[in-house]
Amino acid sequence: MIGQFIDGPLWTFSLAVFVIGVAWRIVTILMAGNRPDLSTPRGSASSGAIRTIITRSVYERTAATRGRLLQIAGYLFHIGLFALLFFAQPHIDFYAERITGFGWAAMPHWAFILSAELAFLGLLLLWIHRLLSPVTRLLSDLDDHLGTVLVFLVMLTGCLALAQSFEALRLIHLLLAELLLIYFPFSKLMHTFTFIMSRGYTGATMGRKGVNA
Amino acid sequence: MPRLSLTPTGVGGYTTAWSLLLIWLLMLPSQGLAESKQTRGLPPPAVLNPAADLWRDIRQRDMPARGTTQVRGVDSAVLINANGDRWRKFRMELLIPAAGYLLLGMIVALILFYVIRGKVKIEGGTADSKLPRYTSYERLIHWFIASIFIFLAITGLIILFGRPLLIPVFGKELFSVIASASKEGHNLMGPLFLVALILVFVKFVRRNIYQKGDMSWLLRGGGIIGKKHVPSNFFNMGEKSMFWMLVIVGSVIVASGLVLIFPIFGQSREWMELAHVGHAIGAILMIAVIMGHIYIGSIGMQGAIEGMTTGYCDLNWAKEHHDYWASQMERRGEAVPNEAVNRFSDPDANRSLGRELREAEE
Repeated sequence: MIGQFIDGPLWTFSLAVFVIGVAWRIVTILMAGNRPDLSTPRGSASSGAIRTIITRSVYERTAATRGRLLQIAGYLFHIGLFALLFFAQPHIDFYAERITGFGWAAMPHWAFILSAELAFLGLLLLWIHRLLSPVTRLLSDLDDHLGTVLVFLVMLTGCLALAQSFEALRLIHLLLAELLLIYFPFSKLMHTFTFIMSRGYTGATMGRKGVNA
Repeated sequence: MPRLSLTPTGVGGYTTAWSLLLIWLLMLPSQGLAESKQTRGLPPPAVLNPAADLWRDIRQRDMPARGTTQVRGVDSAVLINANGDRWRKFRMELLIPAAGYLLLGMIVALILFYVIRGKVKIEGGTADSKLPRYTSYERLIHWFIASIFIFLAITGLIILFGRPLLIPVFGKELFSVIASASKEGHNLMGPLFLVALILVFVKFVRRNIYQKGDMSWLLRGGGIIGKKHVPSNFFNMGEKSMFWMLVIVGSVIVASGLVLIFPIFGQSREWMELAHVGHAIGAILMIAVIMGHIYIGSIGMQGAIEGMTTGYCDLNWAKEHHDYWASQMERRGEAVPNEAVNRFSDPDANRSLGRELREAEE
């Protein structure tokens, strides 16, 4: 009974909340527009935007030693999670059955396991650092912790269900993924979609002023 | 020779008939062997069951462990692994009960110790200044290995004690779900323990090399027994020994764990059984020791956990438990007033704050 609910109506509802919520947030940001800048441009806004998107995504050489570990952890977590989400065979099968109607090439099983290991490694290091460092502890609010806990639990239950032998484990994983989808548009997890926009905006503003930011 | 009388009906019937024929064919060589023994004039076997010889031969108790086969693969020439039965008996009848008694004994010992000794307080009371003890990175890797270890310990104990302890509580069906989840989680998180172990080893090895004063700490019981405090270095003899146990036993656990989860390097069943025994014994020992570590860090001693949570430790606590180090730090002017610590408690940023404040006063 509860399994049917998780597999059916709750999945549809959570997906709808996710899609509509994310679209609404992005449209709202785009609709906000820019204040007209009447000054003479001292550089190209577009090249500034592209430069900042790239430079903010690559390894920062000037980071302190301890910051370096966190940068690496950040890469490990995001790349690992991305690979798991879109190239793990069980997920591709799920998307093909429920959303796209077609599948694509999956990564081999060893790469699947390695991605999970890297994602866990990165997430745990970042999460512990968030809790321990007085700076990040002050900067973090409930939203940060809730988002991290939900992502961690989705990953953990996914790893516990790896054998794909028990329906109960699959349903727990799906239920948590659905809760994450519902929470997603209202949280800082939206940075998945907005990070390019915000970096591009900063880069364009600075690029127009001729500042290499 | 047995007669086969079969009336196969459908696919299932044919399968049954073929299976019985295959078993009969497998029995032929051993029957020949039994006959050859009789023809050699050996005394007839004293057992009444005519199948006993056959099964003795199949189990290869009195013969070389390996036969001959065209199949290429690890242990493909072994028909029945007799060692597996010995390993199973060892696991069920010795390992699990002994591990259970050890862990239970540790819990009882810690409770008794707490009741008798109570919480070890800072005798001089908390001081008005602190010493920076662990950097953010050190605390990060400590809690990283701690979280991985706790997860692995819980899932490992479920796998080890599940059959005798959890099946009676949850029933077989629910336990099968819990066991599967534990096994998958344990296998996936296991390699992360290796990463954590390397990080911890590299960071802490220098301060864990035994030095002058360690032995006297040990001879005086570490100050836990009795009321007198024993001076020590940054880490005392007990902490150093725990570190080396973590490194050595941890390496055994990691190596045996890798043998178990990657059965693709040609390791035989005997190696797997040995790896399992080493893995379980090492893990149980480590869990018992870590229980003591958690006890001291939480309810056993006032101020002990502070260094790993905030990065600072109380000056009086440091003087009472790590006097050599505390004196050195004080001489270098590293003590930081509590107000300064509370204002911004980052030990990395405050590494030289104590000295700077003193210099400003002068």
